[in-house]
Amino acid sequence: MQNSFRQAMAWLHTWYGLVLGYVLIVAFFFGALSVFDREIDRWAIPDTRFEPQVMPSYDGMLKDVYERLKPHPDDWAFTEMRVVGPMPDPDTLTLTSLYAYTTHRDPLLQIGGEFAIPNRLKDSADDHAHVHGWTTIDPRSGEMLPDDQLKIGSEWFYPMHYGLHLGWNNLGYWLVGLSAFTMLIALVTGIVMHRKIFKEFFTFRPWKRTQRSTLDLHNLTGVVGTPFHLFFAFTGLIIFASFIYFPAGSSLLKPLHDQGEVLESAETGLPLEPAGVPAPMASVDVMVSEAKRMWAERDMAGEVGLLTINHRNDINGYVSVYRAGSDRVALVGEGIHFKASTGDLLREDPPRSVVDEINEFLTGLHLQHFEHWLLRWLYVFGGLIGCVCIATGFIFFVEKRKRKHAEKGSQGARIVDALAVATCTGMVIAAVGMLVVNRLLPAGMEGRGDWEAASFWGFWLLAFAHAVFRSAPVARNLLNPAWREQCYAIAALGVAAVVLNWLTTGDHLIKTIFLETYWPVAGVDLSLLATSALSLFAARKLAAREYAQQPSNVSFEAGDVAHV
Amino acid sequence: MSESLYLLAAFISAFTGMAWLALAMPVHWHQVHEQGKTRPATSAMRGTGSVMLILAGVFCLLADHASMAVLVWFMLLTLSAVLVAWLLARRPALFRLFCFGRFSVASDT
Repeated sequence: MQNSFRQAMAWLHTWYGLVLGYVLIVAFFFGALSVFDREIDRWAIPDTRFEPQVMPSYDGMLKDVYERLKPHPDDWAFTEMRVVGPMPDPDTLTLTSLYAYTTHRDPLLQIGGEFAIPNRLKDSADDHAHVHGWTTIDPRSGEMLPDDQLKIGSEWFYPMHYGLHLGWNNLGYWLVGLSAFTMLIALVTGIVMHRKIFKEFFTFRPWKRTQRSTLDLHNLTGVVGTPFHLFFAFTGLIIFASFIYFPAGSSLLKPLHDQGEVLESAETGLPLEPAGVPAPMASVDVMVSEAKRMWAERDMAGEVGLLTINHRNDINGYVSVYRAGSDRVALVGEGIHFKASTGDLLREDPPRSVVDEINEFLTGLHLQHFEHWLLRWLYVFGGLIGCVCIATGFIFFVEKRKRKHAEKGSQGARIVDALAVATCTGMVIAAVGMLVVNRLLPAGMEGRGDWEAASFWGFWLLAFAHAVFRSAPVARNLLNPAWREQCYAIAALGVAAVVLNWLTTGDHLIKTIFLETYWPVAGVDLSLLATSALSLFAARKLAAREYAQQPSNVSFEAGDVAHV
Repeated sequence: MSESLYLLAAFISAFTGMAWLALAMPVHWHQVHEQGKTRPATSAMRGTGSVMLILAGVFCLLADHASMAVLVWFMLLTLSAVLVAWLLARRPALFRLFCFGRFSVASDT
């Protein structure tokens, strides 16, 4: 039992923070990278290095592309498990609904849709007798991108941020959710246990001993970053609350949810179900033009962000056109709906209610599809100071205990330190190493994406093994050399990635900055070089500290401390 | 004024505001000045520093829609506070620029 409320909060902060901090720092780091996921995609897939495109013509291009769209093998396998009897030939299936989504940063267009299947569902509560298909196309030509080219930014780093690529029973979502909740606890308990929040608001004393200066940095990045940490942990939970953490609409409250859909359909005039009466499609391009004209009338001129067609080729079919939310926090909005068979206006979404506005703001601020480059970089900064806060928490934990543990012969500090190295520098090695492998693998290689994903885990596993193997000095109250060695590895990998990008694509920095300016690739290259420089600086500092800890240099260290 | 200039003004205001709020504390004042000769005019610096932070918010509002501006403002305050703390530790002499005339008084200690 703790002696006081403050001590109890300190216990909670320390142990919850330690256990879930390893997940949290991964969520923060890959969240920071995800701010520029589309740009990392451009770096990783050189064929897609061209300017962002607006939504292409449906009548002139997309219509034919959707005719070629097939069910995705992943969803095909998943659907086979949900239905009774064999599935029909995929080539005979009809696309019943579809979507196309783009943002101001996308040269490519993401499209997808649902194919109706005649099979009966095994679970009566399961009401989706569909199989899904999706792909990415070049909107200039309508050509589909090969499925085995991994978009490292949006398909690997981004899902790592919220799901850790642990798909089994949504385990990754739950772990990240739990760690986000822990972040909220850590912030509140941190505020309670911090005695001098305002007095030490700007305090950072790098000249003090490691334990003190680390705590300063932990407090600084925790307190100053509180609005960011609080909002991102909270909004991250909100985004997944309705369908992962509290899926009441598809479980306990499903009848109410279904009834709500019927009422909403009656109110909006947008049919919930197809009528079963075939009908041809009117021109979607005319509907899109009309939507743009209506937005312009409201002084909201902009491009289409999302285009959907429901109950395609049915008399109840309708087309929804949503404005891209580039100029504000919300993702998309101002939806305008047309009857698919005639092009008649069915509905113009009314201004959002206060509740909807708040919900859109909270999710939009986290998912950040807006066009604001300064804010994007500020988000990266926020994510990275979150990482610093968590990493310094680990280091403080070890520094506070390692002397005692060394005296008692305990391995506790050593284990925590090894895990900290494996997480902090290990995940950077995995991310940068993956980019190096991306540039080394042959362009047309089959299963290229799988090899890249395997290399990510391989690098991380190696970093973990190295951190554990080199951690023995911590048990003797010394610094783990793995910190320094992994910093050198990051520095080398970062430079290698930039050089390999130059050699394999011809896109060197002089070209991407000055000759044929292309900031997505230049930005990734510059960030890699900055990471390398910072890692090299850190490695040299760590080397100096290790040197000072050697027995033959203890007198120097003592003198140094006395000087301070 | 263009959006970029408003945002630059917002950052300068936020940084200046945070610098004055920090220098209003004797511990940081003495990181910049020789101990014992002067001390900060705490109220004046806190007041001016707070006004500068609000001014930063106004510049953000002039640059962007309110929903976006509030995010930029919070993040600029965070960035400025971290920068001030880091520069106070590493390059305290830079802050002499912010310690003119009426913000310092002769120390009575």
